[in-house]
Amino acid sequence: MRRFQLWLIFLLLVTSAAPARAQDRLNVVASFSILGDFVRNVGGERVSVTTLVGPDGDVHVYTPAPADAKKIADAKLVVINGLGLEGWLPRLVQSSGGKATMVTASQGITPLKIGSDADPHAWQSVANARIYVADIRDALVAADPAGAEAYRANAERYLAKLDALDREVREAVAQIPQARRKVISTHDAFGYFASAYGIEFIAPQGVSTESEVSARDIARIITEVRAAKIPAVFLENISDDRLMRRISTETGARVGGTLFSDSLTGEKGDAPTYIDMVRHNIKALTSALTN
Amino acid sequence: MVYSVMIYDALIAPFTEFEFMRRALAAVVALALGGAPIGVFLMLRRMSLVGDAMAHAILPGAAIGFLLSGLNLFAMTTGGLIAGFTVAILAGVVARTTELKEDASLATFYLASLALGVTIVSIKGTNIDLLHVLFGNILAMDDQTLLVITFNATITLIVLAVIYRPLVIESVDPVFLRTVSRAGAPAHLAFLALVVINLVNGFQALGTLLAVGLMILPAGIARFWSRDITGMICIAVISAIVSGYAGLVLSFQTKVPSGPAIILVAALLYVGSVLFGSVSGLFRQMFPGRHLEA
Amino acid sequence: MAAQLQFRDVTLGYDRHPAVHHLDGEVASGALLAIVGPNGAGKSTLFRGIVGILRPLAGSILTGELDVHDIAYLPQTVDIDRSFPISVFDFVGTGLWRSIGFFGGMGKAARDKIAQALASVGLNGFENRPIGTLSGGQMQRMLFARVLLQDARLIVLDEPFNAIDARTSADLLALVRRWHAEKRTVLAALHDMELVRATFPETLLLARGPVAWGATAEVLTAENLLEARRMCEAFDESAAACAVDDVPSRAA
Repeated sequence: MRRFQLWLIFLLLVTSAAPARAQDRLNVVASFSILGDFVRNVGGERVSVTTLVGPDGDVHVYTPAPADAKKIADAKLVVINGLGLEGWLPRLVQSSGGKATMVTASQGITPLKIGSDADPHAWQSVANARIYVADIRDALVAADPAGAEAYRANAERYLAKLDALDREVREAVAQIPQARRKVISTHDAFGYFASAYGIEFIAPQGVSTESEVSARDIARIITEVRAAKIPAVFLENISDDRLMRRISTETGARVGGTLFSDSLTGEKGDAPTYIDMVRHNIKALTSALTN
Repeated sequence: MVYSVMIYDALIAPFTEFEFMRRALAAVVALALGGAPIGVFLMLRRMSLVGDAMAHAILPGAAIGFLLSGLNLFAMTTGGLIAGFTVAILAGVVARTTELKEDASLATFYLASLALGVTIVSIKGTNIDLLHVLFGNILAMDDQTLLVITFNATITLIVLAVIYRPLVIESVDPVFLRTVSRAGAPAHLAFLALVVINLVNGFQALGTLLAVGLMILPAGIARFWSRDITGMICIAVISAIVSGYAGLVLSFQTKVPSGPAIILVAALLYVGSVLFGSVSGLFRQMFPGRHLEA
Repeated sequence: MAAQLQFRDVTLGYDRHPAVHHLDGEVASGALLAIVGPNGAGKSTLFRGIVGILRPLAGSILTGELDVHDIAYLPQTVDIDRSFPISVFDFVGTGLWRSIGFFGGMGKAARDKIAQALASVGLNGFENRPIGTLSGGQMQRMLFARVLLQDARLIVLDEPFNAIDARTSADLLALVRRWHAEKRTVLAALHDMELVRATFPETLLLARGPVAWGATAEVLTAENLLEARRMCEAFDESAAACAVDDVPSRAA
């Protein structure tokens, strides 16, 4: 009888410990590095995040590998940007056959339009980033109710940081003289930044890095730079910079540095997190435009 | 009076006002001089699709260049050249010494090369479309790139002048060349080397579409206007330059990107040649005119 | 007379199957030799071996002090790309390769020679025609003109009178006799026995292996021709490796 009781207790202990051990982290897949950063900040220790388009990658023209299908199949949650950014994603999700819930982080944002299409770069405005974070928090809570408190707390902290960032950006822009608030960059990635903070962005390539430029576009930009005396042009980390350098040489505008638009950099780069990215961008802009 | 100003504005002004247009025109002329004659030979030797094959074959070389030096154009182009040469020469040697013909030989090697390239890139783990970065734009001609394509064109013309005779004979009667000279194989390999140089440097400077397009389309156009290879080469070069010029003007006046604009003009010239060319043009075939006395 | 060509127990073929089996012998310098035999007898294969396109499976072919590139070869026309945009004049002009090479200019002398060669074969007036517009017979005459220009010591003709009318045949035969008179060595593979008996003093009757070789009258006898006809044309897929090669050669 003694033996049997001991075994019973042992069994109970084991079975009660099992759920605790089986409580693995929540598998989340984010489509690209910026979303991955948000998820990590909100999810904290409770989530294991994999990103499909990693640092310095171009999410517009990404071609997925079979390993990506596997990542999606293993995931509980797939966080995407939506607004037409990840053209390659729907088929990947279909073929991976996983049962993950898709979350569109940009839900609730009023998108800007370029022509008849939506501009997908909504995260460039910090106010929109707050909405992204809120959407991600809500999705995490729905997928893993046990961690709801932790997620809400993490999100609170991060949102506070974003508020501080937003103030920083506005102060920095205020230091740039009104007449100089114009920038040339490689593709139309900064529409939301422009409308939120009042700096005008002009780009030869359109909304996606997939498109090609015509001579007319280049001529227009050169004429505009000369006419408006725009002081600097900016490179991007994901595009061939020769076109920008040509414009710079021909107009006399300086190359003001590299802006990060669609992708974070690696750990050692200048923009390993979203907040670092926005800080880097605004610093580059102000230093080029304020002298 | 006003018309001449309009024409000047449309056709000449873009080039006087903007340096990038002048450079683009210079690039097109260099590309035409080097690439069009090569294209004529490619077409006559039934290798017209080699351009696309080569665009993929250079991937492992570019990938290794990227692995060693990051997004360094010089490293990736050198790697691409080495890979291109390897594939071209291996394919050429196999075609000459075995039963396998040129096209199948090239196809097998470029596919193997492409697979190797994709594997190398995947192992490294980044997703950057290397070729997307490697391929340039004719509107962004900096000094270094212009120098490279001009150098190309010069080398091509010189080498082509040297191997012209054996190349022609080898194309029309290879058995004869083998029986009178040992120059056949080296001439063929030199030709392949020229093809690779023109293509790889063309890709890096201008992208695949322009590099291959300005080789093959002018050759196709020339086919319909001359029965003699020297004449064909001249017409090919001229139509390449005309297409380049007109395409740049078109891209300047409209939203059409520059590369496609140039190729579209060339394609139009091609269609015109198919219809109205003096050598087997469709119009000539349907309405041959009265036959001659003797 | 010195030997221009020596066959030392040579075997030539494709994929290890012999098309010419154990040929031994010599061709004297200045000889006018006809090579006859049924279809598939190995005549073309032998010629390819002589000009260096095909390497022997066994044995060797020696060309004396001649560089293998000093031989003029007139093959059957299959390998020429007739759609290539080249004129008759330029095509025939390539025959001057040995003297002009990569860069030599085509001076007046060269152009005169080409014109003369074209006239000898009856193709004057065809200078500017693209080669794709020629008939079979005209093509053959053009190739003859090229051989003329090559000015070679050894001339190898593979069925040179196929698809040619009688009058042209006679003209071209006159050229062959001229070469013989100029002390060049001429080998020709032929089907027309009458022509062989009339023009060629020496004949090799080939039916994979040599059946008879010598003066034409002695070679082209009824029994020899019968024996040649018995030769089997097809390769034997199940043949074993040739045992003769292990026996020391009887030809001393």
